[in-house]
Amino acid sequence: MPSHELTASRDEADAAGAGAVRLDHVTHRYGRGGEALTAVGPVDLTVPAGEFLVLVGASGCGKSTLLRLIAGFEQPTHGSVRVSGTGPRPGRTAGVVFQTPRLFPWRTVRGNIDLALRYAGVDRALWPRCRAELLGRVGLEGTEKRRVWEISGGQQQRVAIARALAAENPLLLLDEPFAALDALTRERLQEDVRRVTDRTGRTTVFVTHSADEAVFLGSRIVVLTRSPGTVALDLPITLPRGDIGAEELRGSPEFAELRTHVSHAVKAAAAA
Amino acid sequence: MSTTSRPSRPDAPAARADVPPERPLPAGRTWARVRHAALPLGSLLLFLVAWQLLAASGTWSDTLVPPPAKVWDAFVTVSTTRDGVRGYNGTTLVEHLGISLRRIAIGGGIGIALGVLFGLLMGTVGRLRALFEPWITFLRTLPPLAYFSLLVIWLGINEEPKVTLLAVAAFPPVAVSTTTAVAAVPKSLIEAARALGGSRWDVVRDVVVPSALPETLTGVRLAVGVAYSSLVAAELVNGLPGIGGMVKDAANYNNTPVVLVGIFTIGVSGLIIDGLLLRLERAVVPWRGRA
Repeated sequence: MPSHELTASRDEADAAGAGAVRLDHVTHRYGRGGEALTAVGPVDLTVPAGEFLVLVGASGCGKSTLLRLIAGFEQPTHGSVRVSGTGPRPGRTAGVVFQTPRLFPWRTVRGNIDLALRYAGVDRALWPRCRAELLGRVGLEGTEKRRVWEISGGQQQRVAIARALAAENPLLLLDEPFAALDALTRERLQEDVRRVTDRTGRTTVFVTHSADEAVFLGSRIVVLTRSPGTVALDLPITLPRGDIGAEELRGSPEFAELRTHVSHAVKAAAAA
Repeated sequence: MSTTSRPSRPDAPAARADVPPERPLPAGRTWARVRHAALPLGSLLLFLVAWQLLAASGTWSDTLVPPPAKVWDAFVTVSTTRDGVRGYNGTTLVEHLGISLRRIAIGGGIGIALGVLFGLLMGTVGRLRALFEPWITFLRTLPPLAYFSLLVIWLGINEEPKVTLLAVAAFPPVAVSTTTAVAAVPKSLIEAARALGGSRWDVVRDVVVPSALPETLTGVRLAVGVAYSSLVAAELVNGLPGIGGMVKDAANYNNTPVVLVGIFTIGVSGLIIDGLLLRLERAVVPWRGRA
């Protein structure tokens, strides 16, 4: 287990290939025989370390399945999935944020974070510092003692993000994490996620059906066709990031143009 | 004697709905409490008056329906030492109750512990559930008296058959509710724990057990209730000292006042224990219904 340091630079991550994802001719089927449904594939996809990849597609295109394959919750029917050069193992190769927060209601905010730290093998003496740091990163200072059902949906999802970051896995997977939130909260959380990943330089795979969200977050966008999901469009995003505010970025003509482009590609892929 | 427990009953479900999570404003609280208590207390009073009138009417003999005063007298007699006679059969009422409660604690405790263990196993492993569930259902439908005779043949007439009977009575409700609760643990939370790096054992300890706890505790309350209602049956043979044994023994001599004292004692102490368990449940699982 790597030490709990948040300063791993992008260069170091690149050199080790830590967090890099590689899918070779991956197919996934649910069920067997004549009733089998091919959800994904065949897909060939390489995500270099440090990249923020957004998977976009209409509902039922298999993007969540693809993420579950990368997380190690499902095994591909054909092909191979590699994360940091090895087969993915749940909880060991990637941090995961689900569509719903999936917090443990019998634990407080602090208890949820502490559990993640314990599972990550972090020395108990370091917990207070790590906890404060994690909560600070998602803007939840001072909520430690709250019950998780007492805080808002947006705050719950922030706790889920902090929890997923606890293990310092070089890969972060997010499955439509903001789909259930209101527009304002969604935008704020998008900015937070971008800040968190920019700073730590970890590889991120983010699944969404929103073209707007994809363009705002991604350094690369992959659009999937409808079942079975295959790659329809692979688009690098070269919007100016660090030097420009979120509002300014969202308002820029380049942003609007890209959003339209991606949106059309998603619709075309869904119809095909 | 269900009439005695009636006064307190309407209070229980109402309290459950009122207490969590926001408390009512302090100003209206006292008045609300008075109004709350008025109905049950009123019905208790009405019951006592009706009883007194019935006894005084002379329709039935004193042996069948003793007046309240006579029962109160019996209560005082069995609770104290009077004229060198200590309580009932040399044991005071509190001591009778204490001995019975100890039997319930030991027997019920064993039954509950086994029930939780079986529930965890059956809820996790489908085959074990298929193997044991019919037997537990069978056991559950049997009235304790049905197997008490067998227990006496096997285990004699001392503590063993009594404690065993209470354990056998308490076991099924806990096993059934724990099984259901464990089988119903949300897969999404198990997956979340695994995604954080939790091992199989971590998942059991940190997700399955706390998630199943609310329903398991409901099963425990149910089990204590069943054990309590089996108390007189458990103490039918050689039950003295013991509150159930006292009732049985007094009945042999047509000593209705003492029988009534015993019944009241069992009912009231049962209500108190159920109330305590309900409080414990609320304190231990504040997240009930919020998962």
